[in-house]
Formats: sequence, structure tokens, C-alpha cells
Amino acid sequence: MYKFEKSFYSKTSMYSFVAVMILFFSMWFSTSNFVHIDMALLGYAISSAVFAIGLTIRMSFWMWRKATNRVAKRSIGNLFTKERMKRNGKALVRTLIDNIILQKFIFKRGLYRGIQHLMISWGCIISFGITFGLTFGWMRFDLIDSETYQIIVFDMPTITMAADGIFAEIVYNGLNIGAIMVLIGTGMALYRRITDYDVKVTQRFEFDILPLIILLAVTVTGLFLTIMYTFLGGWMHHYMSLIHQVTVIIMLMYFPFGKLFHVPIRPLATAVPMSYQEVIKVDTKSCKSCGQPYSNDDQIADVQAILKSQNFDLQLADGTYLSDYCTGCRRRMRAMKQMNLESPQGNPYGPVNTNNGIHLSGFSKKRSEEFYGLDQDAKEEKIDEPISR
Amino acid sequence: MNKIMYLEFERCIGCRACQAACRECGDHDAKERNFVEYVDFTESRQTFPMLCMQCKDPACARVCPANAIQITEEGVVLSAMEEKCIGCRNCTFGCPFGIPKFDFETNKMYKCDMCYDRTRNDIAPMCASVCPSDAIRFIDFEEMQQLRRKRTQMNLVEGKKPQEGNKWDYVPEFFGVYTDSQS
Ligand code: SF4
Ligand code: SF4
Repeated sequence: MYKFEKSFYSKTSMYSFVAVMILFFSMWFSTSNFVHIDMALLGYAISSAVFAIGLTIRMSFWMWRKATNRVAKRSIGNLFTKERMKRNGKALVRTLIDNIILQKFIFKRGLYRGIQHLMISWGCIISFGITFGLTFGWMRFDLIDSETYQIIVFDMPTITMAADGIFAEIVYNGLNIGAIMVLIGTGMALYRRITDYDVKVTQRFEFDILPLIILLAVTVTGLFLTIMYTFLGGWMHHYMSLIHQVTVIIMLMYFPFGKLFHVPIRPLATAVPMSYQEVIKVDTKSCKSCGQPYSNDDQIADVQAILKSQNFDLQLADGTYLSDYCTGCRRRMRAMKQMNLESPQGNPYGPVNTNNGIHLSGFSKKRSEEFYGLDQDAKEEKIDEPISR
Repeated sequence: MNKIMYLEFERCIGCRACQAACRECGDHDAKERNFVEYVDFTESRQTFPMLCMQCKDPACARVCPANAIQITEEGVVLSAMEEKCIGCRNCTFGCPFGIPKFDFETNKMYKCDMCYDRTRNDIAPMCASVCPSDAIRFIDFEEMQQLRRKRTQMNLVEGKKPQEGNKWDYVPEFFGVYTDSQS
């Protein structure tokens, strides 16, 4: 293994190589030695391979971060611990259903946002599934007699269906259904991004709007393709399919490097119920100062280890770390330090020192006009503009 | 932005106007992101306001496994990006001052962002603009230096001269939240 690794420029390039090889062999296997390969989709296949490389690189770098590495390591370690099996199974199933399939937490942020996200995510999952399935030949349709199609998954025959049945109709139109869902979702999201003042505070065009535009371009060109061959008799179909292919390639290239990268990192969320909070909102570690439970031993150990590995020195004179105290006590410690109110030296648990004999700055100083950062003329001009939104 | 958030805990009268103002700020979703707490209720009625320090090298961002906490070009440390945050609360425990708050219902971490849409345009943050006792101020660097000098002077007038062993008692005030980019 070590030798194998040494023959690559870096670990990341090794992982990328492995990812591409897996794709290649899955393609080889499921198209029975490339007999059933769909040459029309070759462009997609190549760009998907580049997409896989990009994703692997980004995932490796992300996993390399001290914090991510520590949390992921603990979760993976816990995953295979016997005593935790039941808890882990429950956590995984619950996260899968609540957070990935139903996306309940987004609905709690608002019905509009919930619908919008559900539409985009499920539309994308359907479309990606079908596209990757067909390009890599993981899934194909075989005509077994003039009336029936059979779906072949990984070169294994599965269900059969009547060529003109309702089920077949749904399967053929899977991509269109996905596209319409994404279209509705991205439309809603764009509208929200343009009209909502609150999201504008921190939104950035290249990060928040660009991915929506890219998704929209993909879906619109894809839907046009359908319209052209069903209603316009294939008029300009060839050009459109080229344009569609270009948009898809742009999206696949963009995916690992922009906002859409949140999809592959989401599964780390299972770390919370698996390693940190057995029962949600119930804490087990208590504060060194006030004794209130505020967190979990494993989590604080992780936080301290992560901080230490990045040279944060948050250790106090008595050997404890700031993260050993609950958040309220930590804030109080900071304020007391600043106000010289700390208890007499040597007794951290003694009464606070309320008279420190230091003169505090007076209350006589008026706020200067520059405080507001506006000069007089500018102030008058702006008088009837609303100050806050 | 080249202004300083200047806190003087001693001035706080505990009116919680800053918290009310914080709830009104854009994108704060009617939840306050700052704190007003008692130093020790059994000893005195002294309260203090607490905000995020907008650290240069923020511990909260360093302990975040999802890399969800971003720092703007002005140096403001923003709340977690909603799509990335996995809700582990490492940031709350990693922050030396326990600033980030967490909403379990919607799975959102939220923390003081210095009212980013205001300070970005050199308008004082909500808390600083309502504080009636000037415990929270948003001032220029020069003004801060003046305030600090004055504090030392007053102590000298009263005959309290800092000694090697206790000089830090006399300059506890320099903890402005500030950024130094010239935009
Ligand atoms: S939340 Fe805490 S660690 Fe993060 S920038 Fe603010 S004070 Fe610093
Ligand atoms: S709660 Fe969110 S922002 Fe905070 S450390 Fe966890 S993932 Fe990062």
C-alpha cells in the first residue's frame, strides 16, 4: 500500500486516480465490456470523470482540515463500536429521513424555503441519478419483445414494463420531471435572493446567485430539448443538445468548487447525534465553575484537541481550559478580568472584588459628531431616507 | 471600515436596549445575538454587555468541522453559512468568550456580525447606536486613544501610579472590536 501511494504525486492524486478507476470499471462491467455504451453520451462521461476528480480533491482537502478530521475520525471510530451500534443505527436512519429525505429543518426556517430547497434538491438528485446512470451505463433499457422493456441495472436484468404503460411514461420522463422541479425551485430561490432584504446582507453574487443561474441554464436548455423533439419535430435539436451539453459540463465543473459543494459534506451532520448529543439538547458535561451541564465530554475533548493542534493557547493559570467553563461563565470571566473584579489572587472561587480602587473613565464625555461617520451636509441630504430597513 | 467597537463594561446600566436593537437588525431574524449579564448577582448589580470580538484568527472558525464560518474582507466574522453548518456547536465551545448561539429548531448558528449591512457602510451597529450610557460605542481609532489616555490621566491625578506589578490594572480598556482594512 505504501509503495502504491509513493508512486503518486500526492495522496489526493491517488484518491482521484482510484475514483476514476472505479468509475471506469463500473462502466466496463455494467455495459458488458463496453458493448452497450451510448456513444452520444461520451461527452457527459468524460466531464463526469473530471467532476469526480474535482470532488475527490475538494473532499480530501476538506478532510485534511484539523477540525473536520478530528470530528470525522471520532464518528467513524464510533460507528463500529459495539455498544453504540443501536444508537448509531437510529441516528443514521433518523438523519437520513428527517434531514435528507424530508429536510424538516429547512421547513422550520420557512415553508417557502422548505419547498424551494426540496424542489431543487430532489430535482437534482433525480436528474443526476438518471444522467449518471445512463452515461456510465449503470442503467439501460433493453427491448425484450415488441411490447416490453426491461431495465438493466449494473448488467443485471431487473423489472420489466409495458412499453406504453404509465410506469414507463414516468421513467422516460424522469429527466423532465426532475428539470421541472429544479426550475420551480431555482425560480423561487432567485426571487427570494432578489427581493428579500435579509438575505442580501451577506449574500455574494458569485457564491449565492451564480449556482442558481447555472442550474437554471441547465434545466431550461434541457426542457427546450424536450419541447423541440416532441412539439417542433426536432427543429434545431442538434444545436440545442450541444448547448445543453455545454451548460451541464459547466455545472459539473463548478459543482465541487462553489456552493453546491455543501451536498457531499452534509453527511458529517450525523456526527452530532452519533458522537456528541445522545439525546438532543441534553448535556452531560458540567461547567468547572458553576456546575451547570453545558456540553459533552467527547465534544470538549475534541474542541480542546483541535485548538491545541492549531496553537491556540486558551489555558488558564490553574491548568483548566476556557472550554471547561460554560459559555455564561466564560463571558463573565472576560468581563471580570476587564473590570478588575476578579476575586483575590489565589482563590478563584472567592467573592468578587467589587471595589478595585481604579478610577473609571468619567461619564462626562459627549459622543463626538464624527461618531456617526457623516459630515453635516451629508446628514441633511440623507434626512428623509429610512435609516434602517 | 476603520472604526472601533469600544466597550466599557462599567458603564452598562443593564437596560438591555442593545439586545432589543439587535433583534431589529437586518438578517437577525428577531433574535438577539449579544448578551447582557450580571457579573455576580449576589455581590453587585453590575451588568455587562458582551459582543463578539471579531477575532483576527477566530477560534470559532478554526474548530468548525464544516468550515462554515466565513470572514469578510473587512474582517467581520459572520454567522455560519446555513448550507454548510452541521449544527455541532463546536464554535460555541471553542470561542474563548462563548459567543455563538444555536437554534436547534432550524439548525442555525448565529452570532454577532457587527450588523454587517450597517458597519459595511460605516454606520454604527444597532447596539452601539442605542446604548444610552455609552457602554458600547463605535468610534474612530483616534477617539479611542484619547479615551484611554484620559483614563490613565485620571488615575494619575488621584495619585495612583501604575507600578510594575499592577500596571495592567490601569489599562484594561483596550479591547475594541475593530478591523483595520481601509475600505
Ligand atoms: S465568536 Fe468568539 S472566536 Fe469567533 S470571532 Fe467572535 S469572539 Fe472570536
Ligand atoms: S455549529 Fe455549525 S458553525 Fe458551529 S462549529 Fe458546528 S458546523 Fe461549524
